[in-house]
Amino acid sequence: MSASGEKHSPLEQFEITPFVHFEVGSVDLAFTNSSLAMVITTAVITLFLTLSVNTRSIIPSRVQLISELSYGFIAQLLKDTVGEQGRKYFPFVFTIFMFVLIGNMVGMLPYSFTFTSHIIVTFALAAVVFVGVTILGFAKHGMNFFSFFVIPGLPWYMLPLLIPIEVISYLSRPISLSVRLFANMLAGHTLIKVFAMFVITMPFYSGVLPLAFIVALTGLEILIAFLQAYVFAILTCLYINDALHLH
Amino acid sequence: MDNNNDKISDLKKKINSIEKSHQSESMPKKESGVSFGFKISTELVAALVVGVGIGLLVDNYFNTKPFGLIIFFILGAFAGFFNVYRVMRRIEKQ
Repeated sequence: MSASGEKHSPLEQFEITPFVHFEVGSVDLAFTNSSLAMVITTAVITLFLTLSVNTRSIIPSRVQLISELSYGFIAQLLKDTVGEQGRKYFPFVFTIFMFVLIGNMVGMLPYSFTFTSHIIVTFALAAVVFVGVTILGFAKHGMNFFSFFVIPGLPWYMLPLLIPIEVISYLSRPISLSVRLFANMLAGHTLIKVFAMFVITMPFYSGVLPLAFIVALTGLEILIAFLQAYVFAILTCLYINDALHLH
Repeated sequence: MDNNNDKISDLKKKINSIEKSHQSESMPKKESGVSFGFKISTELVAALVVGVGIGLLVDNYFNTKPFGLIIFFILGAFAGFFNVYRVMRRIEKQ
């Protein structure tokens, strides 16, 4: 933080700054620090996954093991939640998982930017999942997909009350999915910056205490970064399962 | 040849036993209390947000000022409870 700026808000880290201005009509398509973070994330994932399995050795090196583990982790997740039918959707779930995970991890680096701390980014991700799963449901079951909103074994006079409730519950999925990821990242990063302020403002050498706390918090944040990517992936799997099997 | 077949079946047995042990320990409990509470609360709030949104839209279209909001707010609250119930049932199953 420069002395001339004197902006010490813990929310300053979430500010979007455009690097390259670019407009189509009235739509602002500027290349911002958020876009840069996403490009870096994609590049890191692509480079890591292609280079690490390049050797294809039977006894894997440590790096190769990491990418094989991440593959196996998602494959197992899909198998547990969706079953053998879920194989087809592995690329989709794996892409989302890696994008969120590496995006969170890139955000943990000092001076970088956490794009998952913006609700519009997480909502776009959740909307892709939601729309994709809905299309999948209609493609698999046609108009039968609407029976998803009817709880089996219910007396008919309860239907007018329960169908709107089910529809609202279904529509709330992308919101809860996106808010969970966004709020976790936002809260964690803000908390770290707030404690960083204490380090500066506390008298004498007592700033060491919040500094130690920041170290612990950073560890916790890395755990949360992984956990939220995992939650995003597992919920995507559950939604795919719902669309395939209806109830 | 016979020896080789024996070896292969032995290996298959080993793989099966390892896979079985993997299956039982897959999906370990990784969630902390905070993330669990957060999950529940977002489910509840998200359904309310959708309910209120639909209510406001309905009011706008049909000029039924407070009633759409009231009805869909209540439906949204019910949907939120349903979401929480579903999450709890899923956790119970595990």
